[in-house]
Amino acid sequence: MAFLTLLLKASLIYGGLLGTAALMTLAERKVSAWMQLRVGPNRVGPGGLLQPLADGVKFILKEEVTPDGANMWIFRLAPMLAAIPAMMTVAVVPFAGQVELFGLDFGNLSVTDLDIGLLFILALSGLSVYGVILGGWASNSKYSLLGGLRASAQMVSYELSLIMTALAVVALTGAMDLREIVAAQAGSIFNWNVFTPVVGQVGLVLFVIATFAETNRHPFDFAECEPELVGGFHTEYSSMKFALFFLGEYCAMTVMACLTTVLFLGGYQVPFWEDAPWFVQLGAFGAKVGFFLFLFIWVRWTLPRFRYDQLMNLGWKVFLPVALANLLVVGALIALGWA
Amino acid sequence: MVDLLFYVAALLSVLCALGVVISENPVQSVLMLLGSFLGIAVIYLLAGFQFLAAIQVLVYGGAIMVLFLFVVMLLNLGDPEVQADEPLFHGRGRVTGGLGVALAALAVLLTASRGTALAPVETYLWPEGGLDPLLGMAEAMFGRYVLPFEAASVLLLATAVGVMALAKRQRTKRAIAPAPLESKEAAA
Amino acid sequence: MVVVQRRKLTLAERLYLPEVFRGLAITFRKMFQPRVTRQYPEEGLPKTEVTRGQPRLVVKDDGNIACVSCGLCEAACPAYAITIDGQETDRFIEREPERFDIDMLRCILCGFCEEACPKDAIFMSDELELADYSRRALVYDMDKLKRPASDMRARMDYVKRINGRWGVEA
Repeated sequence: MAFLTLLLKASLIYGGLLGTAALMTLAERKVSAWMQLRVGPNRVGPGGLLQPLADGVKFILKEEVTPDGANMWIFRLAPMLAAIPAMMTVAVVPFAGQVELFGLDFGNLSVTDLDIGLLFILALSGLSVYGVILGGWASNSKYSLLGGLRASAQMVSYELSLIMTALAVVALTGAMDLREIVAAQAGSIFNWNVFTPVVGQVGLVLFVIATFAETNRHPFDFAECEPELVGGFHTEYSSMKFALFFLGEYCAMTVMACLTTVLFLGGYQVPFWEDAPWFVQLGAFGAKVGFFLFLFIWVRWTLPRFRYDQLMNLGWKVFLPVALANLLVVGALIALGWA
Repeated sequence: MVDLLFYVAALLSVLCALGVVISENPVQSVLMLLGSFLGIAVIYLLAGFQFLAAIQVLVYGGAIMVLFLFVVMLLNLGDPEVQADEPLFHGRGRVTGGLGVALAALAVLLTASRGTALAPVETYLWPEGGLDPLLGMAEAMFGRYVLPFEAASVLLLATAVGVMALAKRQRTKRAIAPAPLESKEAAA
Repeated sequence: MVVVQRRKLTLAERLYLPEVFRGLAITFRKMFQPRVTRQYPEEGLPKTEVTRGQPRLVVKDDGNIACVSCGLCEAACPAYAITIDGQETDRFIEREPERFDIDMLRCILCGFCEEACPKDAIFMSDELELADYSRRALVYDMDKLKRPASDMRARMDYVKRINGRWGVEA
C-alpha cells in the first residue's frame, strides 16, 4: 500500500512537472507575444493550447544530426545530464500537507521528505550544468564550446550567492528539510520569511536573481547568447536531444520557482487560513509558483542581456558580498534573539 | 540490497578512478573523476551520512569539477600524441614510479586500517543514532579543531595565490621573449 | 573628433533594480493593449485600387480580350516573363494572341506591361497570393490570365485617371 501510494504520488508529481514544463514553452511564446502586441501561437487547439504537443511530435520526427568530429558518447550523454538532474530535484518539493481523499490517508504531498531536501536540490541543480558544458564541448564547434565555457564560469559564480542566500533561510528556520521550512512559516502571513525585516526582502531579491543566473535565463543566458554564439551549447543539437535540453531548462525553472516559494513565500501556507485542506494548499502553492514562473518570462522579455564582464562583476563584487552580509545580519538577528 | 548497492558504488568509484589515470582525453578524465566522486557520494549515503553525500555532490560535483572542466576546456586540446611529448617518467622509470606510488598507497592504507578488524558491511553502514555523527563532525570542525581547520583553509588559499603568481610570472617571461616580427616582415 | 557627453546617472539608475521594475511595468502594461496582429489567411490584406498585384488580361463585356498581340508588353517586360504568339482573326482588330503566357516565377510584378499596353488589355489585378506545387503550374496561360472587366474596374479607372494626369490621352 505504501509503495503504491508512493508510486501514485511520484507519477502524479512528475507528470505535473513535465506538464508544467510543456505549458511553460507555450506560455513563453504567448506572454512574449502579448508583450509585443502580438497574438502568439493560436492554430493548434483552442487558443494554441495544444502547441506543446505539436512541438513534441515535431521534435520526435526531426532528423538527428551529429556533427563531424563530435565526441559521440559525451555528445549523447550531455542532453541526459541536462534533463535528468533537473527533473530529479522535484522529488523533495513539498506541494501540500496531509492528503486525505475518499477517507484514505495518502500522507504528505511530495515524493519524499529528505532531512537535507534543500541541499539535495542545490546539489542536483549544480550537476545539471554538466549537460551544458559537456554538450558545448562535445559538439566540436567553437560557438558551442564558448557557450559551455561561459555556462560553467557563470554557474559556479552564482551558485555561491544562491547557496549563501538559501543558508540565511536555513539559519532563520533552523531546518534543511523543505517541509520543516514551510512549517516554520505557518500561522500568520507575517511569519513568511520574506517578511523578516530587511533580511527577507534582500534575500528574496538576491535569490531570485541568482536563480535566473543558475537556470541560464535572461538576462544571464550567456550559454546560448544568440547574437554572438548562434545557439551556444545547443547549436549543434537537433531533434529530441535538443528537446531534452529545453525540457531540462524548463524543469529547472519550475523547481527553482518552487524553491523560491518554499524558502521565502511560505510554501503551501495559505494566507489567513491556517488549516486549509490540501487542495487549497496545493492551489496556493501553484499560484505562488506560477507567479515566479511568470516572472521568469516577464523578465526575459523586458531586459536586454548583460555583458559577460558585467555578469562576473555583478556576481563576485555585488552579489557575494551582499549575500554574505545578509547571512551575517541573519546571524546577528538570531544571536540577539530577534528572529 | 544495501550490500549490493555498496559494492556497485565502490566498484564504480574504483573503476572511474582507474579511468582518470588511464584515459588519454583530459575531458574524459574529468568525467571519470566526477563518476568516482558520485560513487563515493552514494557510499556516504548508504552509510547514513546524507549531509556528507549532498555536500560531496554539491562541492566536488557541482563546483570543483566544473572548474576542472573549465580549465581543461581552455587548454589547447590537440592530438594527445603531440601533447604527451614530455612525459613525467620515461620507460622503466614510469613502471617503477607507478609501482612505488602503489606500494606507498598500500602502506598508508595498511597503517590506517591497523587495529580495525574488517567488519561486515552493515555494522559500519548503519551507525547507531542516524545523523548524530554529523553533529559530532560539526562539533569537531567548528569547536575543538576550529583553529587547525581555519589554518588549513588559509593554507589552501595561499597555495592558490602562489600558483597564480607562478603561472603569471611564466607567462610574462614568455611574452617578453623577443618576437621575430621584423625578420618576418623582411622575409615577406 | 566628437566628444560624447554622457548623462550622469542618478543613484536610482545606478542601483539598476528600480529601472528594472520600471521596465517590467512597461512590458506588463503592454500585455493589455490591443493586438496589432492580422490573422492573415482569414483576415485578408487591405486592398485598394492602388494595390499592384499580378498582371491579368481583361475580358471585355463582349467576352473577348482587347489584346492585338503587338508585343509591346513583351518588349517592356524587364524580366522577359511574357511570351506572345499572334494570329489573324476575323474580328475588327484583325490580330489576336494565339498564345499569351506569363511566367509568374519570372514576373517581378513591376506593372510595366500595364503601362506599355496601347489597347488597355493588360492590368495589374489586386491578387497577391502566388503559390503552387510545381513550376509548370506557375507559367500562366491565357485562360489563367483572363479576368472579367467587372473585377478589374477600379484598377482600370485608376490607371486611366493617373495616365490622364500625366497628360497622356486615356
